[in-house]
Amino acid sequence: MTHREKLAWMTLLLIAATYGPYFVHVAVSPPAPGEMPNLPQLWLLALAAGGNGVLHILGRIGLRIAAPEDARAPADERDRDIERRSTQVAYYVMMTGMILVAMVMPFTTSGWQIVNAGLLAIVISEITQNGLAAWGYRRSAA
Amino acid sequence: MSGGTISNQIRTLRFLAGEMSQAELGQKIGVTRQTIAAIEAGKYSPTLEAAFRIAEVFGKPLDEVFQWRSGG
Repeated sequence: MTHREKLAWMTLLLIAATYGPYFVHVAVSPPAPGEMPNLPQLWLLALAAGGNGVLHILGRIGLRIAAPEDARAPADERDRDIERRSTQVAYYVMMTGMILVAMVMPFTTSGWQIVNAGLLAIVISEITQNGLAAWGYRRSAA
Repeated sequence: MSGGTISNQIRTLRFLAGEMSQAELGQKIGVTRQTIAAIEAGKYSPTLEAAFRIAEVFGKPLDEVFQWRSGG
């Protein structure tokens, strides 16, 4: 498994571990409408985003220590091909999400629903990018 | 555009080059061992530049390393 494939799988796992519980919580007990800034909700969001960022940095350090040569190797043509394809699809996912969040949702809702929908669009686009990258590597693995 | 597949003789050529490893070949042409493995297994089609580089490593013309089989 190449360093970049490991990064893609790690990113997917970290999204599941951090944003997964956040969105489950939001779905089970949605923040009260109109209540802003709603500090407990803000704290949960910071915990998910901050936790994801910190774990991602630690994961990258761990992968670098485990296989320093692989981590140092520049992206080769297969890496670039997989990245180009996965990023292209993720871009359209992100654009669709942002159009819905920024141009449709303000007519029907407000506050935390828009914040969470925006975050969900970003997370889905990250899942798309890393999922397609991981799939691309698996598909072309010998 | 009709279908087809690219086959290659990289495994044989590595053997004839003193059992050159995939990592060694990858290093010579600037790709990872996993990419060489994918090319060798026919699961990834290299760029024309990488194909020429591979042929150059073995001192063979391109068509002795890679072959196109038309799907009809």
